[in-house]
Amino acid sequence: MLLLFVEGIYIQSTKSLESETLDSKVAFVNLTGLPDLAISTEATYVRHRSVSDLFSIYKDDGTLREYFPSTYVYTYSHLMNKKSLDEK
Amino acid sequence: MKNRLKKFGVNVYIMEYAINSLLRQKYKSLFITIVLTALIFLLASIFFITNSIKYELQSTVDSLPEIIVQKIKAGRHYDIDTNDIDNILEISGVSSAVARVWGYYYFENAGVNFTIVGIDEFEQQYKNTLARIAETLDFSNTSSMVLGAGVKKSMNKSYYKEYFNFIKPDGTLKRVYISGVFHGDTELESNDMIVMSKSSAREIFDMDESKATDIVVKVANVDEIQTVASKIKFLYPESRIITKNDLKISYQNIFDYKSGVFLALFVVSLFTFFIIIYDKASGLSSEEKREIGILKAIGWRVDDVLKEKFYEGFIISLFAYLLGIVLALAFVYIFKAPLLQNIFTGYSQLKTSFELPFVLDIQTLALIFFLTIPIYIAATIIPSWRSSTLEADEVIK
Repeated sequence: MLLLFVEGIYIQSTKSLESETLDSKVAFVNLTGLPDLAISTEATYVRHRSVSDLFSIYKDDGTLREYFPSTYVYTYSHLMNKKSLDEK
Repeated sequence: MKNRLKKFGVNVYIMEYAINSLLRQKYKSLFITIVLTALIFLLASIFFITNSIKYELQSTVDSLPEIIVQKIKAGRHYDIDTNDIDNILEISGVSSAVARVWGYYYFENAGVNFTIVGIDEFEQQYKNTLARIAETLDFSNTSSMVLGAGVKKSMNKSYYKEYFNFIKPDGTLKRVYISGVFHGDTELESNDMIVMSKSSAREIFDMDESKATDIVVKVANVDEIQTVASKIKFLYPESRIITKNDLKISYQNIFDYKSGVFLALFVVSLFTFFIIIYDKASGLSSEEKREIGILKAIGWRVDDVLKEKFYEGFIISLFAYLLGIVLALAFVYIFKAPLLQNIFTGYSQLKTSFELPFVLDIQTLALIFFLTIPIYIAATIIPSWRSSTLEADEVIK
């Protein structure tokens, strides 16, 4: 219990997002205007998944099946070509 | 201490007996604790990582553009005409519309993908921002760029220290000088990014002045975004329009329970749990049965026996839970999730340091708590209840 408490305080104080860091992150996103994180860059539709859609993979080849392992983790952006506008 | 525990309705003597009983079956208790801890550790680590990624995304979502207009042709993303800007600007409510140039560059030597973003380099506003978020700025060269830390590293490996030669689609080279590197703070966003002037980006992509990758529309009034978006859609039916709200929704469902890793994780955890429960529920060993029989014979009531078993299960599972959470916190935030981070980075050669922001999410902790502890306690109590309701002499036989 004590260990959890001490570790919690340590992580809270060193690893949480500080306002200065947050500011520079916001400034960077503002500069580029591009969504999503650079954690996985193996395919365009994984790197910028929010501006891609389920069909983005067809850009490479219409018969291609997904073979990038990170699509195993991240789902597609659920923003279909027209649907997201019509639904509202 | 004893009195205090008594106040909470804890029978200290039964508790003592439960602890002694656990210590008597040292190896069995140890084994169950290890398995439970490992299970909770795995679940907690994955939840911590996904939570932090979501938190990181959501903390910057508000600075994204209100509307992004892409052109779709033959089911593919195409370059959009910059003339379209004039028509979009005429829509009432639009405060600005800017053509963007951005795309990907595959650096074959290292096998990595870069994201190249073109900005209007000489605008003062951009210069100020760059000065704040990047180091060693030197825009004296006519074509210069600011790199993400990961890009810089992979360029350095190929001995590009001062400049980089981009291979244009026509086969000729375009030399761009490195003028700065983004701070480590923004690594999760900027690791694979190259920011350069729009004209240099156009040259590398072989994009005409009259074309752009997409158009970013700013709308002053938040309530008007949807109307403006539908008007643009009406104007250009072939376009794909992404509003900020869409991006928020996209961020929210980045980790879907339908996606493979979570399904696999839950199947594995359920299966492990199933084994533990099966082992427990398939009946107690004759020794344990005899113990319950003797306890009953010396005067314990059924609820005393159940209480003792409850304490046993609770001590083991709570200990495993706390240990699992402590290990998972250290694993994810201090050691940066070795091995497990590969699930999230996939095949990408350009790896971030995976320094995730810590966020305390009580919901996740509660979810893991209720997924594991009550089920384990139930699995200990139910079989003992079955044998403790039998007559004492019948059990001892």
